[in-house]
Amino acid sequence: MSRYEVTFRVNGEERRASVRGEATLLRTLRELGHLDVKTSCEAGDCGACAVLLDGEAVNACLVLAAQADGCEIVTVRGIGTEGNLHPIQRQIVEKGGVQCGFCTPGIVVAAKALLDRNPAPSPEEIRRGLAGNLCRCTGYQKLFEAIAAAAQEMRG
Amino acid sequence: MDYVRAASLEEALAAALRPGAAFVAGGTNLVPDILFGRKKPVLAVDISRLRELRFIEERGGRLRIGALATVTDLLESDRVREAAPPLHESAVEFAGPLVRNRATVGGNLLDASPAADLAPPLLAQDGEAELLSAEGPRTLPLASFFLGYRKTTIRPGELLTAVSLRSLGPNDRSAYQKLQLRRAMAISVVSVAAALWMEGGRCAEAGIGMGAVAPVPYRSGAAEAELRGRVVGEAEAEAAAAAARREARAIDDVRASARYRERMCEVLVRRLLRRTLGLPSPARAH
Ligand SMILES: Cc1cc2nc3c(=O)[nH]c(=O)nc-3n(C[C@H](O)[C@H](O)[C@H](O)COP(=O)(O)OP(=O)(O)OC[C@H]3O[C@@H](n4cnc5c(N)ncnc54)[C@H](O)[C@@H]3O)c2cc1C
Ligand code: FES
Ligand code: FES
Repeated sequence: MSRYEVTFRVNGEERRASVRGEATLLRTLRELGHLDVKTSCEAGDCGACAVLLDGEAVNACLVLAAQADGCEIVTVRGIGTEGNLHPIQRQIVEKGGVQCGFCTPGIVVAAKALLDRNPAPSPEEIRRGLAGNLCRCTGYQKLFEAIAAAAQEMRG
Repeated sequence: MDYVRAASLEEALAAALRPGAAFVAGGTNLVPDILFGRKKPVLAVDISRLRELRFIEERGGRLRIGALATVTDLLESDRVREAAPPLHESAVEFAGPLVRNRATVGGNLLDASPAADLAPPLLAQDGEAELLSAEGPRTLPLASFFLGYRKTTIRPGELLTAVSLRSLGPNDRSAYQKLQLRRAMAISVVSVAAALWMEGGRCAEAGIGMGAVAPVPYRSGAAEAELRGRVVGEAEAEAAAAAARREARAIDDVRASARYRERMCEVLVRRLLRRTLGLPSPARAH
């Protein structure tokens, strides 16, 4: 079975992997230890696997690992870490937008991409910006509030 | 599965000559199809880095859109919003942002789902497919592109390079609606795009694109015939709506029954025509 050598940067650090043609970026990232990228439906429906690929938010389960060769990838840990939370992350914690936490990494990535494009989204734009992310716990309201608050904080 | 990244159109066409090869663009259809065993290509020919296929440009009264333009590209293009409002609206209603960033125009048409959302707006605006193979290029109307359920006229190894559509001007009329079971991230139950080119109060040319009704997206020739060359008012809108229903050869599936779909062909064609012509709130269907 043919394997392909791929190299990409994840949160600024170079990663190499030898992948099969059908390997998805999601599975490859997790095999490399990036367990902050969550896996669930593997069909593009839930958004748990969202990462920034060359700055664009995508479902890592819909991308072949080989397609990401040479790309810049940012996971939730590249957005902010325990000691140094991004405003989106801090607001989600403060507003009670985390229950089981499974959807949170994907939500943070999708919200980051939304605010990068649109620093002052309307409530409707926030809802649409998260349309690709499922959360089975929070009912979304607190997430929407957190993202609105983060946007305001980031605008200063 | 083998994998090759094409660095040029020539490389892509040469690699695709291998039996069992499949092009992969955004991968939003093909990658899960492979993972879940619905498709088993022996070789994925990655065309996603062919920058020359990612463009939106005007040429000779038509808008040309490269096969690798993403749904996000459509959504953010002023030219699409002005010259093809139904296509813009279909991009607004398409999946969510994560999928839109990868999903391409070419992949949507070649996945050839009855519910491919970009098809009705492109059909309504006289869409044409530009194809390229080792034998050379050919262009054909999208109206004769879809042959049957998930079947198109594309030949093995042939690449869709672009689609083009007839632009709408500021005085022309158009409308779009996607019926879906929730407000986002839903597969169309029925979708309709309407385009009317106006000449001094008369509808000189009409295009009505229908999605998720039949095994293939199609143009409602019967509805268009009720509009073309006429001053379109109440009676013409009614006649077009009734014609769209009569012509529908609707499918039953998990989302809706054939009867419901046929009924919705009439309701949506009426609603869109009335909306775009500024007629008062739609009359109830019988
Ligand atoms: C969660 C989710 C939501 C979705 N929502 C919608 C929706 O609302 N509306 C909708 O219509 N679709 C939707 N889709 C389906 C899909 O995203 C679209 O059909 C998309 O446009 C496919 O494009 P792609 O580039 O990802 O195609 P790929 O998966 O890369 O390819 C699809 C097919 O087309 C072929 N192909 C691709 N490009 C070319 C080309 N240039 N020439 C020849 N063959 C080619 C491939 O070989 C393959 O058979 C959704 C998918 C997911 C996962
Ligand atoms: S795991 Fe990728 S979208 Fe669900
Ligand atoms: S917090 Fe549990 S899925 Fe969102």
